[in-house]
Amino acid sequence: MESIKIKKITSVWIITVLVLFVASIVLGILMRLNQGGALNQAPINFYSNMTIHGLTMIGIWFVAGMAGINFLMERYVKTSYKANLTAFILTVIGVVMLWVITLVGKFHVAWTFLYPMPFKIMWAKWATPAFLVAMSILSIGWLIWSISMMTQILKKYSIAQAFAWQHFTKDPSVKTPPFILISMITLVGVITCLFVAVVLMALYFAEFLSKGSFVNDALLMKNLTYFFGHTIANEMLYLGLAVLYELFAEVGGKAKWQTSWYVALAWNFTLIFILTAFFHHLYMDFVQPEGFQIIGQLASYMASLPAAAVTVFSVWVAVYRTKIKWSLTNLLFFIGVAGWVIGGFGAVIDATISNNVVLHNTLWVPAHFHSYNVMGNVLFSLAFFYWFSIQFTEKVVNERLSKLVLSLLIIGGAGFLLAFYLGGADSIPRRYSNYPAEFTSAKPLALVGAAFATVYLIPILILFVTITKRCIKVLFSSR
Amino acid sequence: MYKSFVFFALIVLLTHSSSAQSFSDAMKEEINIYQKIYDAPLQVAGKPPASFKEFYSQQPFVLALVFTRCVGICSPFLVNLKETIQLQPFEKDFKIIVVSFDPWDTADEMELLARNLGLKSDPKWIFAVTDSIDQMNRSLGFDPVWDSVRMQFDHDALLVGINGDGYITKKLIGLRERNELNQLVASIHNVFSPTYRLPNPNILFSCFNYDPISGKNKPGLGLAFLALPAVMAVGVLLIVSMSVRKRKIL
Repeated sequence: MESIKIKKITSVWIITVLVLFVASIVLGILMRLNQGGALNQAPINFYSNMTIHGLTMIGIWFVAGMAGINFLMERYVKTSYKANLTAFILTVIGVVMLWVITLVGKFHVAWTFLYPMPFKIMWAKWATPAFLVAMSILSIGWLIWSISMMTQILKKYSIAQAFAWQHFTKDPSVKTPPFILISMITLVGVITCLFVAVVLMALYFAEFLSKGSFVNDALLMKNLTYFFGHTIANEMLYLGLAVLYELFAEVGGKAKWQTSWYVALAWNFTLIFILTAFFHHLYMDFVQPEGFQIIGQLASYMASLPAAAVTVFSVWVAVYRTKIKWSLTNLLFFIGVAGWVIGGFGAVIDATISNNVVLHNTLWVPAHFHSYNVMGNVLFSLAFFYWFSIQFTEKVVNERLSKLVLSLLIIGGAGFLLAFYLGGADSIPRRYSNYPAEFTSAKPLALVGAAFATVYLIPILILFVTITKRCIKVLFSSR
Repeated sequence: MYKSFVFFALIVLLTHSSSAQSFSDAMKEEINIYQKIYDAPLQVAGKPPASFKEFYSQQPFVLALVFTRCVGICSPFLVNLKETIQLQPFEKDFKIIVVSFDPWDTADEMELLARNLGLKSDPKWIFAVTDSIDQMNRSLGFDPVWDSVRMQFDHDALLVGINGDGYITKKLIGLRERNELNQLVASIHNVFSPTYRLPNPNILFSCFNYDPISGKNKPGLGLAFLALPAVMAVGVLLIVSMSVRKRKIL
């Protein structure tokens, strides 16, 4: 069914993502060790590490989701190998550039690159234009890939069918698979936020090249930055969910999930609300009209609730008092849903204006986004990687190793996140390379976080070895 | 009449020189913001020794730095401050502590300065000296330079806002208008003062344009940029859908 080329390129994506993931976890541990006082990095190194850690994590889990849906989409429509390959080549170029820019050029504006920081040059002069070029390369590569996949869906399904609108009527003649619905919803969101990135880069370039005769509006740039950043960080999670909807029941030996009216409604709502939720990043910007702030709060609630409620309900129904074939794949999916929901609650708490006054820019922020990534989206993609790796190689699964992997993931992940949540609740600010003595709990919590992150790294290394070995076999097989 | 004229000319001259250096002053005003003031011991004539902490823990204060032998900005600076405060009292209460940064000054000389300004019996004003001038100056980011030829300090007319926890909340350099003093007083009471960017011909795509005359923030062209990507995405969706359907029909 799936072409050899797609199998091979998916293997390459998986190996690339896993290599960068391990490297980025190590950078994250170094950052927490430095915050804990166990290391003594120069602030510039800390912030360079922080920048590349954030950029890489967002990038790899986005492409991991895209590679996952691209592979599974072959079950329904023919996808473009050329678009996939182009995206891979441009991603590699962009990522290599970003690593050089941050680690050699010492560019350190955090992954949010908030205006006007990239122009306040405190690093190699070439790093700022190189950063803008790298971001443009990544945006263009991913835009080509997204539009290509959307085009393939639209070749088979009309717009109404792709969005499953016919499910709002009784007995729809065409049934839209949930995978197609969620992929389509997500791709439209992804394309929107990548267009935002294109506009943002164009404005950055305009100011950079104008030599002062054109200046950007800081509020516009901040809105655009979070429109892009917040949206892509959420859309990549939905890519993981599309994979979950496709594989969870199948791996458990159950009938495939079907789209119902409420599933269609929930996901259509999600598309609208996720595109306006980013306003919650600007609660502290008094120039932003109050109406936008209220939209930000309401959209944050509305974006998370329908998709989460429907998914949790679907997963719960699939496992509650039901004989299901448990494997590492669907256990990773199951734990991932739990992590996503916990992180989602943390996000909704922070997105509530009255709470944000207290939690804004504290460790609560990395707490919630690490929750739905480290224990959510990452697990969705790892589930796919693992499932993919055993499709075309020997299916002998070491159950004891699987149990060890899951136990260490849960212990390491939970401890790592708890250190962030406790810090956030104690008003410890984030993005400090070194904590002053006034923040008494900051250093011990950072060390606890680093220790548990190291525990989390162990199962990741085990999965890295087992999955990579199998993917290399796929890469060099002729079938 | 003659004195008034000289005073007015001096004010104009100093204000002009202040605006000519506005960029560097603006940057200087950011130095050590949100840092704690050094808890220097203070001596007020006829009063027991105290320290900054004893004052700010009772009430936030505005700190003015002068010296009694000053023949330049110090007197116009204090007169301007006094008149601004007396002309229209502030809503929230605070103290004004005038401290000398000249090691030669004594508490009695500072009392004499208060008397000359007609502020000796005003409970709002405190005139003091300290023996920890260097530490105080460092904590404030204040850097007076002694000119041995003129026998004067080359210094800024610095006003510093200190809140109830002893943090520097705002600094003003030079003779400033009432609205800027309002912001200083608001800051020491931990009240946020919004500031808006003034119109700039180089900024073409503002989300909002602030009109300083009406005080209103009007929507700008930049807002369209927020909607543009969504419109582009819908456009691509429709174009792709139509083009693939056309091919199907053909």
